[in-house]
Amino acid sequence: MEDQLVEKCVQLWEDPIPHLAQIREEGGIPVAYFCSYVPEEIMHAAGLTPVRLLGARRTISHADAHLQAYCCSVARTDLDMALAGELSFLEGAVFVQTCDTMMRLSDIWRRNTDFPFHGDLVLPVRMGEDISLPFLVEEVKRFKAQVEYHVGSSIREDALRESIRTYNENRRLAEEVYLLRRADPVAVDGLSAAAALMAGYWMKKEDHNALLKRFLENARSKGTEKLPQVRLLVTGSVCTTPDLYQLVQELGACVVDDDLCSGHRYFDSLVEESFPPEEALARRLWMRVNCPSKHQSLEDRAERLLKQVKESGAQGVVFYLQSFCEPHLFDVPYLRRKLQEEAGIPSVVLETELQSFSRGQLRTRLQAFIETIIGV
Amino acid sequence: MSGNQIKQEVEDRERRKIKSTAAMRDLMLKYYMEAKAAEGTDKKIAWITSGGPVEPLICFDVIPVYPENHGAMCGAAHMNVELCEVAEGMGFSRDLCSYARGDIGSAVTKGGPIGGLPKPDFLVCCNNICNTVLKWYEELSRFFDVPLYIYDTPFVRGSLPSHTRDFAVRQMEEYIGFLERMTGREFDEQRFLEVAARSFAAISLWGQILSCNSAKPAPMTCFDAFILMAPIVTLRGTQEVVDFYDGLLREMRERVEQGIGILPSEKRRVLWDNIPIWYEMRNLGRLFMELETCLVADTYTNAWTFEGVDPERPMESMAEAYAEVYLNINLERMADRMVGLAERFQVDGMVMHSNRSCKPYSLGQYDLAREFTKRTGLPVLIIEADHTDSRWYNRAEVEGRIRDFVENLL
Ligand code: SF4
Ligand code: SF4
Repeated sequence: MEDQLVEKCVQLWEDPIPHLAQIREEGGIPVAYFCSYVPEEIMHAAGLTPVRLLGARRTISHADAHLQAYCCSVARTDLDMALAGELSFLEGAVFVQTCDTMMRLSDIWRRNTDFPFHGDLVLPVRMGEDISLPFLVEEVKRFKAQVEYHVGSSIREDALRESIRTYNENRRLAEEVYLLRRADPVAVDGLSAAAALMAGYWMKKEDHNALLKRFLENARSKGTEKLPQVRLLVTGSVCTTPDLYQLVQELGACVVDDDLCSGHRYFDSLVEESFPPEEALARRLWMRVNCPSKHQSLEDRAERLLKQVKESGAQGVVFYLQSFCEPHLFDVPYLRRKLQEEAGIPSVVLETELQSFSRGQLRTRLQAFIETIIGV
Repeated sequence: MSGNQIKQEVEDRERRKIKSTAAMRDLMLKYYMEAKAAEGTDKKIAWITSGGPVEPLICFDVIPVYPENHGAMCGAAHMNVELCEVAEGMGFSRDLCSYARGDIGSAVTKGGPIGGLPKPDFLVCCNNICNTVLKWYEELSRFFDVPLYIYDTPFVRGSLPSHTRDFAVRQMEEYIGFLERMTGREFDEQRFLEVAARSFAAISLWGQILSCNSAKPAPMTCFDAFILMAPIVTLRGTQEVVDFYDGLLREMRERVEQGIGILPSEKRRVLWDNIPIWYEMRNLGRLFMELETCLVADTYTNAWTFEGVDPERPMESMAEAYAEVYLNINLERMADRMVGLAERFQVDGMVMHSNRSCKPYSLGQYDLAREFTKRTGLPVLIIEADHTDSRWYNRAEVEGRIRDFVENLL
């Protein structure tokens, strides 16, 4: 039963596009987003279905006329799919200002596609400081107004509160899955947990909540005897395909936690329901675990990463990054140094490009890394 | 060639030379020497990004130091690649901004034509030019273990929203407070007004200087402007800079009146987009001269010609100007500015430098090129390079493409 569920999630992860088209066929209105800083609740409350685009493994045929080869493959392949007409089921897309690539991609996308909806949310770089909060609250309101304008009616406050509850439940469930994996990576292996979370990017949140509950029930009823395995933590931007997780498992290791934009950072922190909804949404973006394109004075990325490594018992860290991704690549030397010096944790950097993805190469590098940890 | 002809040619070349360049060299030399001498003294030194508000630093007598200007210098001296390699050896990807890589390399080794920059007491990072500077300055802040002030300028699509303006003004005030703490001095509003007035004066002079190039023949090329812009980037707000640009404007006006062009012969006029290819300035300058083509204007040096600064409300209008610089606005607004430059300077086409390690300036260029041609009917050439990492540059190919392009103009 559980295996079927996981299998379905993995399939979805491998190719979510047909499923997104199906959402449209079933009467849903899918709107794409790319980055985890989108207040999805607003769209959800307006009757739209936020779905996530993480790039795809493909050769580029259309996007080269708009983006240079030195741009990350997430942006290039997503734009390529849109220009090729493969995303015609979308109502539109939402862009947030994180990296310079996303900032420009928004304009390029808007100018060259004709989806009915185009949303922009501008973010401050300074997060978690009082000075930027009023700005962010206004931006969230402005985004809400964009959505309302598009759907032609205003979003009722109770509907928004309801959506916030649905998403918060989703975050709590995801957290539980992650905690369970940490505690017992045999009962809940790295791939299954990641796949269960990822599936939520391509379905309605209510359905995903039900899925996660079933996943958790299955996992809890499955008693295990623990096997010693090499425990790894993955950090970086997005895992477009399940390959990394599959390879780790094939090589006899397990992912016990992550600091990924398509993983832990997506569901970190709840929206505090005591604030007015727009402010509450803004506050979450402002307080959640930082993406490297943002700056937080509270606790920097290295501290968080070290804490996560310690709590999850990871023995090694995999940096899984997109080539040409400035914000992530910049932090690599610092984070690796901290891991090594302060925790004695080895790490490896795996750069990928979706249009020239090589599973074999990935496998070789991972194998070598895992072997150094085991000490063979 | 007869003796007379040679004499005439030498005289002609002398006549065409921009005399103020020497004054600028002195000004910049003095500036770098003073900055270097200040290291380890009571004088405060701040490193700041090129789009950052420098006026408050001048007001507090802090010496502003610009890693990007230094990067350009290292690039022009063909020394940036070795500095980049130092950073790459530390684990920084080859794909990151080459200014940043070179600067980190120089900070670690004190390398470069002037033996590195003086150590900062604190850092000021304004992300109106890119988000890369945030990562770069975070790294500097860790390396030097000094405070970092982030002046945050969210991207502007369409007109400036009031909450973006308010955020900017709040930060301008906070920035002043930060400087009070860093220098142990109190803010002197009168002084600030004077600095702001001088900064606006310099900016307006710079705008007028660039405008002289609408004359035919053009009194300078944008290669000259790239060099002559150093003071406006680094020291605007000081009296020396106002005096310098005053002199330069006079010289440019005289040249226009006397019909002195920068090239021996100007047959075609071209607009340049993106940061210069610093290590190729000489070669490209020669090539365009040979092709009788003048690069009369560019989007880069024009970024320092803010419009609508209001001396009556310097703090606010300064905050607004910094919020809406060229790289912090949407493609449509960038296209408007490009088209405006093309019209004002009556160009025959545009050359765009697709700059491998500067994403905010380069991503979107393909769309801008099409929009530009659609609106002006003018052709565009896109060449591939990097502002200071020459390892990505293919001279033969680029020069060949420029020749073909220019020969087909008109
Ligand atoms: S992978 Fe990096 S460069 Fe690409 S969109 Fe994400 S953050 Fe930006
Ligand atoms: S990325 Fe571009 S704008 Fe930013 S510092 Fe580098 S060269 Fe300048």
